Amino acid sequence: MIVPLATPSLRARRFGEEVRKLPAFLRRDLLVAVSYRAVFVGDIVALVMQALLFAYIGKLVDSNAMPSYNGQQASYIEFATIGIAVGAFTQLGLARAAQAIRNEQLLGTLDPMLATPTEVETIQVGSVMFDLVYVPVRTFVFLVLMFLLYGLGYQWSGAVPSLVVLMLLIPSVWGLGIVGAAAVMTFRRGNSTVGLAGMFIALASGAYFPLTLLPAWLQSIMRATPMAIALQRIRDALIGGTGWSGIGVAAAILVAWAVCSLAVGLLAFRRALRRERRLGTLGLY
Amino acid sequence: MHASVSARGDGVIDRGRLRAAPVVHVESVSRSFGDRMALSDVSLRVGGGEIHALLGPNGAGKTTLLRLLSGALAPTGGLVRVGGLDASRGSTELRRLVGVVPAGDRSLYLRISALENLVFFGRLQGLTRHAARERAEHALERVGLAEHAQRPVNRYSHGMQKRVSFARALLTEPRVLLVDEATHDLDPDGAEQIRRLTIGVAARGTSVLWATQRLEEIRDFAKTVTVLDCGVVRFAGPVSALSALAASRRYVLELRNGSHMVSALNATLRGRGRIERVSSSEYLLAVDPLATLGQVLAAIEAEGVPVLDCREERSRLEGAFLEITRRAAR
Repeated sequence: MIVPLATPSLRARRFGEEVRKLPAFLRRDLLVAVSYRAVFVGDIVALVMQALLFAYIGKLVDSNAMPSYNGQQASYIEFATIGIAVGAFTQLGLARAAQAIRNEQLLGTLDPMLATPTEVETIQVGSVMFDLVYVPVRTFVFLVLMFLLYGLGYQWSGAVPSLVVLMLLIPSVWGLGIVGAAAVMTFRRGNSTVGLAGMFIALASGAYFPLTLLPAWLQSIMRATPMAIALQRIRDALIGGTGWSGIGVAAAILVAWAVCSLAVGLLAFRRALRRERRLGTLGLY
Repeated sequence: MHASVSARGDGVIDRGRLRAAPVVHVESVSRSFGDRMALSDVSLRVGGGEIHALLGPNGAGKTTLLRLLSGALAPTGGLVRVGGLDASRGSTELRRLVGVVPAGDRSLYLRISALENLVFFGRLQGLTRHAARERAEHALERVGLAEHAQRPVNRYSHGMQKRVSFARALLTEPRVLLVDEATHDLDPDGAEQIRRLTIGVAARGTSVLWATQRLEEIRDFAKTVTVLDCGVVRFAGPVSALSALAASRRYVLELRNGSHMVSALNATLRGRGRIERVSSSEYLLAVDPLATLGQVLAAIEAEGVPVLDCREERSRLEGAFLEITRRAAR
């Protein structure tokens, strides 16, 4: 029997095969998550505590000091709720993407997984599949909670544009997460560094306070980050009621960020993997 | 003759030619970790359907060799081909051919059931959910865990986890099965079950590399053996040839009322073995090459001397192994 080497049609078939493996990761992580019921409940409790915490902080903040969006003055709680939701989204995505391979290493399942005819990229994508579902649900629960507790005055016309921006933010964050995964794989104990980077991005991109409070030089740097861009557009849409206005430019920048961060992330990850194979330390933890 | 991928000028692989080549071909392979040489100039060939044992103490290089064959590790030098493919590239094609049973205790998702574990890994092998489930159920049945399929793996004993790990490697009937210390924490029945399964798998054409430090495990099981010690091949050949290196078979017997019967017993055993007293109740029995232990024990009991206990003084394989490694040390 003659078997052809990788032709374009074979590559397309293999790509299809890899995509069909993704639901298996989703099911696996769902089953694992369900088995840790206490952790799941703890996460929801933490969400409620966070909502309460920021509500009390909000009482200390003078609304006049808050920025306005399309002429609409934001209250601190309205401002911070968006920041917390997007920040949690970013941090969770960043940390989980970076942690996914490390978790497999610690469980001892990375080697058996790499022994299957599955591409590393599939393992990376597959490992965050559950979070791609869970994190938006968690964010939604948080927003509903804030609405119920504080009656936020958001513009509903901004909901869909905000969702689009959030979806475009995911690949950018994920690319950075893969860079983190490469660092974790190489240095083993890189989790805290990745966590710190995530916290820095969340803090300095205007999630919890206006960017205008930062030094001018840091402001101009942070305004160009995907998270700051996303936050600005979502606040414009939800607080200022700008709808789809300005979304096109933000989307273009976020897509460019996504392409760059994913390319750098995958390159870094492949290099890290190659290094581990060369040294024979992939299974070590 | 080297096994090689018959990649023709028109960019296709001729599988017909691959079938004729040894399935596993390792030629002058070395692998170092920093200054430490884990494998040095190792060569071996394994044909289709053959069980080949890798025998050696801890740190001999067995796991390193298996990792080279699975593509998880690249060699420092030499040639590693599996199914005609260059294993050093760790390609997807290679991973389709190879099933791996790792040595470690942990290689499964402990919070989910054995069945779900196997279905997950089956999906990663490219099976549909339905096919993965069917094969997972079948594989669990083969390793005797069908009744416990729905239990989370963290409620399994180490031995049961090992069997799940073995079942995982059988999901796709691989062309090459790499088994690393599969039975060291199994009870005798479990170990025997895994060995029988492996023999069945090999009978269907799968080449098996079976790494172990338990010498008795390979008798009546593996056809050929490579003895590794400190990353160097000390012996390579049929298991029977390894056995032949040992002295005659010797057993320690515990006999009732044997003290006055030694001369009579030796007269009875002439041509089959020889017995000598070593303590008040223990006797050393040397069985001649053409006799069986059963014949000799039956002859002793026929003389009215009950055999209370019988154990090998030192197994032939162990003897051979120690002889080989001792010779190398000199």
